[in-house]
Amino acid sequence: MADSVSYFLMAWLDPSLLMLTAIGTLAGIYVGAIPGLSVTMATSILISFTFSWDVNDALALIVGIYTGGVYGGSRTAILLNIPGAPSSVATSFDGYPLAQKGEAGQAIGLSTVMSVIGGLIGVGVLASVAPFLSDMALKFAPRDYFLIAALGLLLVGSLAAESLSRGIFAAAMGAVIGLVGLDQVTADPRFTMGSMQLMGGIHYVVVMIGMFGVAEAFFQLHQLNAKPLRQKVDKIVPSLHLVLKFLPLSIRTSVIGVIVGALPGTGGDIASLFAYDHAKRSVKHPSRPFGKGAYEGLVAPETANNAAVGGAYVPMLTLGMPGDAVTAIIIGALVVHGLNPGPMLMIQAPHIFWFTVGNLVLANLFLLIFGLTGIKVFAKVVELPKAILIPLIMVLCVVGSYSLNSSMTEVYWMLGFGLLGYFMKIFRFQMGPVILGVILGPLMDKTYRQAMSSVGNDTGSFLLSLVTNPLSLVLTTAVVLLLLSNTPLKRLLQRRRQA
Amino acid sequence: MSNEPRLKAGERAFNVLLLLLSLGVLYEAYQIAGFDLPNSPGAFPILLGLIMIASMIAILWGQRQHPKPDTQGALDETRQFLHEHFPLAIVVFLAMAIAYLFLLEFLGFIPATAIFLFVAQVYLRHGRLLASLIITAVATGIIYALFKLLFQVYLP
Amino acid sequence: MIKKVLATLALSVGTLAVASSAFADYPERNIQGIIQWGAGGATDNVARSLTPHVEEALGTSIILNNRPGGTGVIGMNSVMQQPANGYTVLYGAENPQLYPIMGLADFDYSAMTPINVIGQGLVVIAAPADSQFDNFKELLNYAHKNPGKLRMGGTGAGGLPSTVLAMVNSVDSLDVRNVTFGGDGPGITAMLGNHIDFMPLSLAAAQDQIPAGRLKGLAVFSKEKIEELPNTPPITQALPRIESYLPWGPFWAVAVREGTPDAIVKTLSKAYEKGVANEQFQTFLTENGAKPLNLQGEKAEEFLNRWQSVTAWALQKADAAKISPQDVGIPKP
Repeated sequence: MADSVSYFLMAWLDPSLLMLTAIGTLAGIYVGAIPGLSVTMATSILISFTFSWDVNDALALIVGIYTGGVYGGSRTAILLNIPGAPSSVATSFDGYPLAQKGEAGQAIGLSTVMSVIGGLIGVGVLASVAPFLSDMALKFAPRDYFLIAALGLLLVGSLAAESLSRGIFAAAMGAVIGLVGLDQVTADPRFTMGSMQLMGGIHYVVVMIGMFGVAEAFFQLHQLNAKPLRQKVDKIVPSLHLVLKFLPLSIRTSVIGVIVGALPGTGGDIASLFAYDHAKRSVKHPSRPFGKGAYEGLVAPETANNAAVGGAYVPMLTLGMPGDAVTAIIIGALVVHGLNPGPMLMIQAPHIFWFTVGNLVLANLFLLIFGLTGIKVFAKVVELPKAILIPLIMVLCVVGSYSLNSSMTEVYWMLGFGLLGYFMKIFRFQMGPVILGVILGPLMDKTYRQAMSSVGNDTGSFLLSLVTNPLSLVLTTAVVLLLLSNTPLKRLLQRRRQA
Repeated sequence: MSNEPRLKAGERAFNVLLLLLSLGVLYEAYQIAGFDLPNSPGAFPILLGLIMIASMIAILWGQRQHPKPDTQGALDETRQFLHEHFPLAIVVFLAMAIAYLFLLEFLGFIPATAIFLFVAQVYLRHGRLLASLIITAVATGIIYALFKLLFQVYLP
Repeated sequence: MIKKVLATLALSVGTLAVASSAFADYPERNIQGIIQWGAGGATDNVARSLTPHVEEALGTSIILNNRPGGTGVIGMNSVMQQPANGYTVLYGAENPQLYPIMGLADFDYSAMTPINVIGQGLVVIAAPADSQFDNFKELLNYAHKNPGKLRMGGTGAGGLPSTVLAMVNSVDSLDVRNVTFGGDGPGITAMLGNHIDFMPLSLAAAQDQIPAGRLKGLAVFSKEKIEELPNTPPITQALPRIESYLPWGPFWAVAVREGTPDAIVKTLSKAYEKGVANEQFQTFLTENGAKPLNLQGEKAEEFLNRWQSVTAWALQKADAAKISPQDVGIPKP
């Protein structure tokens, strides 16, 4: 116990570790904020620097980058409608409308405090029930991932604002985009139309940058001469009253975040979409309608994606299996530093666990400090004349999509998706469902086929397996309920009751 | 059903185009593995193609009674569509963006970006040469420093 | 520590200064390393452990990127699409040598210039810790009585599990359901949760899990017991006739696009030779039950050709090759 506490406090008491965590968090915020620069990329570059360092130094820096990076994505999502990372897509749904109402400062302030709350809850879960949670995560069979993906795709009902058929169309189109390329299982080309370039698939960040960033930039060109909105920047730190008001919601969405994050195979991007949907369903009287700048729509995804960080560490620290791409790199770093990041890690090197937990708490505190300073400057970005802002957004989108693979192909795709997104926006299609499809479509395809082969390609036993296992049964019930609430069936029932 | 929103100019044409796209998706999906269901690489794509077609038909069906856009004939509708959604500023900006992408490959990142930022600002702000020049220089410098020096991203 | 950060920054500024001079020598900027398998697998572990040592020898950063999918075709293809200037290197496993006979692609390593064949690994057939089988013999007996019931974790056609399965099937019969994962990492996770019954794995990926009691080793794919897993019997105990294929194991290699200038190939080869020879990396390889090879140039090509002809004809014999090795010009061993 005393050992745990001393490991926990290690990063707090050592000035150089303290400094590295701070630098990491600060750098992470900016890496995360820039679309195309991902936390994964930043950590993988850093690993090569930190090779000659002490392992604790390297871990401290990475923890900072990771925490800051997941949060940073919300910055550009709120200010420019370009989610800095896929886990911030849901943040843009209500964050950007808030900035358009002159509340960019408040939105960033609230998202900072909520991210920290989510992050701390995530760490708390990691510290208290990590072994239990990882055992639970292992129980998820391919069929359960399939059901989770299905559940996620049904969120289209709450993302598609006015028209369900448009939402379904957009989600299916997104899933097709996600499937382009060589099939993961059989290596058959799908939707490549004979092009070698398409064999590797279309990166979903390209779709995201194009459909959110570029399409919005084109839209903004209509209001070139509109006077830039003055941002209210006086009350940036949300009042205690406001924070307490959202506390119940943020605890619920953090739990969603940490569980989805702990599942190897799903992460913050899916967690934040689930959380957004949960908020939309459970909050009856939001501060404003969802999609028009509801604080609740900002709180939910921001708490969930930061809580997912703590979740992602769960399988890594308990089993040595990566929970996502970043933890995979951390495992690589531990190997390079001569540690065996396997299931024995907690026994052979128990200090790593408590050191990481302490470090994560520290990084979240730094996040609070760095997140709440400099907001005024950021909010002013929205006040820049459109004629300056729009070309800059364009350059940012180009650099972001280029840096994914160092190739121009992605850049042309980005512009193409930007134009398509512009057209779709004109004709009242929503962008959220497209991204939902791009993220979840491939997951659903892969897990469906794994589940099918597990039962010997027999449709009957596949369907049976969805209801005979307790975990699957819960998920199946959720899918069915969601399906019923989304379809005319519900209306039909209500009508019959009224009659 | 007069309370339905009036169709936008070009809306029906766009939706029909998307329906054609969906048919194309279904055809391509069929090409993957035929109807070799239930566990082939083509199974899920075929399902997606069918969903796209069904939902688009539902959209078009739902719109059959919406009032038509206030235009005479297809030509007028096209004109109105272009007028509404592709005013000169957008067309020119799009052209500049495409030119920028080409320039990137020929000139490299720094000159192409500087030219694009400068020209786009001068055009969108109707002049203001000096201010545009300064902003261009600062922005290009910051982006270069951030990406190339700090994050070591290889730029074209 | 802060000094180190500053030194790093200074270093990157320095790299830039070099980069801006037009006549600078290779490498003048950082290099992209594409790993053809996903995070957490054997190829990924090898690449990430080796690269820091190569970076040191090369004096530049190598940015690693996982591009998994299609038994590694996606990653290899993406390297072959990049210019032949030595700024994109492939970290591959053995799979490309089987693409032609599996009909996955019409190229193999001969379409690239090998830089280094890093080492050759061992295979272990693993099962969940609470599996009803204690060794491969028991599993085979069960499968004979219940064909098509066991779930095997796979990584796609031409992946290591399907190659091992084919070899087993050429001397015995093992009819299983093949559940495909994106690599051995996700496969191990699924096995930990009992969602598959067994999976042939590269020892470099599974070795930590077996001594920890999380997984059970059913058989080592070799003629004798190995030091790393003293309690796991060799596969020849259950299947004596498989001996003709042994020793067999996956390997890891680094390659660049064909047509890369000789000088650059030489620089890279030297750096990788030094990196692989690094003591720390050698320890990593041997601890993971792999044999360091560190082959360059002709020797690397020789190794690749030999491995290909042995494996391809074994698969042909097992009736697992979609296209006969004869038709794609692979000579008999």
